[in-house]
Amino acid sequence: MAFTEELYAAAKPIWDAQLEHRFVAGIGDGKLDENRFKGYVLQDYRYLKEFARIFAWAVAKSEDLASMSWYAAVLNLTLNTEMELHRKYAARFGLTPGELEAAPMWPTTRAYTDFLVRTAADGDMADLVAALLPCAWGYVYIAQELVKREPPGDQRYADWIEQYASPEFAEAADWLKAEMNRLAEGTTPEKRRRLTELFVLSSRYEWQFWEMCWKGEQWPV
Amino acid sequence: MSFCAEQLTRVRPIWEQMLDHRFLQETRDGTIAHETFANWMRQDYLFVEAAIPFIAALLPKAPKAHRVALGMAIPTLEKELELFRDRAEAAGVDLVNVQPSFSNHAYVQFLLASAYTASYAEAYTVLYVAEKAYYDSWMVVKAGIDPGSIWFPFVENWTSDAFAGWVAYLEEQLDALAGETGPGERERMAELFELTAKYELAFWEMAATGEGWPGLD
Repeated sequence: MAFTEELYAAAKPIWDAQLEHRFVAGIGDGKLDENRFKGYVLQDYRYLKEFARIFAWAVAKSEDLASMSWYAAVLNLTLNTEMELHRKYAARFGLTPGELEAAPMWPTTRAYTDFLVRTAADGDMADLVAALLPCAWGYVYIAQELVKREPPGDQRYADWIEQYASPEFAEAADWLKAEMNRLAEGTTPEKRRRLTELFVLSSRYEWQFWEMCWKGEQWPV
Repeated sequence: MSFCAEQLTRVRPIWEQMLDHRFLQETRDGTIAHETFANWMRQDYLFVEAAIPFIAALLPKAPKAHRVALGMAIPTLEKELELFRDRAEAAGVDLVNVQPSFSNHAYVQFLLASAYTASYAEAYTVLYVAEKAYYDSWMVVKAGIDPGSIWFPFVENWTSDAFAGWVAYLEEQLDALAGETGPGERERMAELFELTAKYELAFWEMAATGEGWPGLD
């Protein structure tokens, strides 16, 4: 069994819970309240900015030129294409680039991105990939499930689904999965447990991100 | 006004809420439930363990004059862990196989992410605020706790002259670092100052409520 299949099995209850989450289901059927989605767009923009840093760490930590090139390309794509697309998409919800930049990080966004940065900084390449995979793979997984359903009436939600269900995102997720399997090859059971722990933890943060956007979030006190 | 004094004034509402927290008041008054205090012990033990790599990650960035003091902080933290194990044994608290609560996990990631990606002065701000918060918090408890309390050794640890001296040293050094920074870095230091204060307050709240992990409770 490929290591990524083991990871998927370990996190499956969380991934199922993501698919069933009110926020995700609301994107799927188009009934999600626009204000909740605006909160998501703002937080996701902040997240994406930090997520890009993880690819920069990956360039620095890659052992071979092919991997370095791939991560560098993703970093470039994220910073110079995806974030611009994000700004254009946000404009369809009436959000300006200024609002995207100024939005304060909610506690879950802060915690999740700090967790990723910390893991990228003090972990090895396998740790780094295990931590970022639930986002890269999870979005494709969710979108590919949603795309099988009746398309949402709101075109903006339909476009969100279409983007993450696209072959480009699926290819990137597949590349990362292959990378995860390569990096896990020949590792000790203890190391594989650690990688599984990181994968499950990021999966929990993914679920929590939907939950945060559904409820809105502030510091607890 | 010095940087620390200025920031402590700015975050006063958070600081006051922290010092008024029911966890501290109930510990001071001897009315805290055993399980509530035990919950704090289990979580803080994990936090102190994580504070060691945080200090270690500051060292490569530290000016030479700071190295000895930072280096000495590591055996001090190891001694703190011993204190936890000693009290855990006395109180019948199990410190093994504890999972971090969400707030604790988030705070630890914040510490380490700051150490890795922020400037030395910024990360040093986080260190100072965390230590200052503990000194001030445990001084609240010291004001009324029965010295015979099973929890008193914790009070002694964080209100000792040695700890007070450490916090005063950090404050002096942070003010000096702030004096050498430009407006951009100083602004980020202020942001981290406030965020650390929020995490400190969230930590007491987590201890009092027995918070676990969202979606798993």
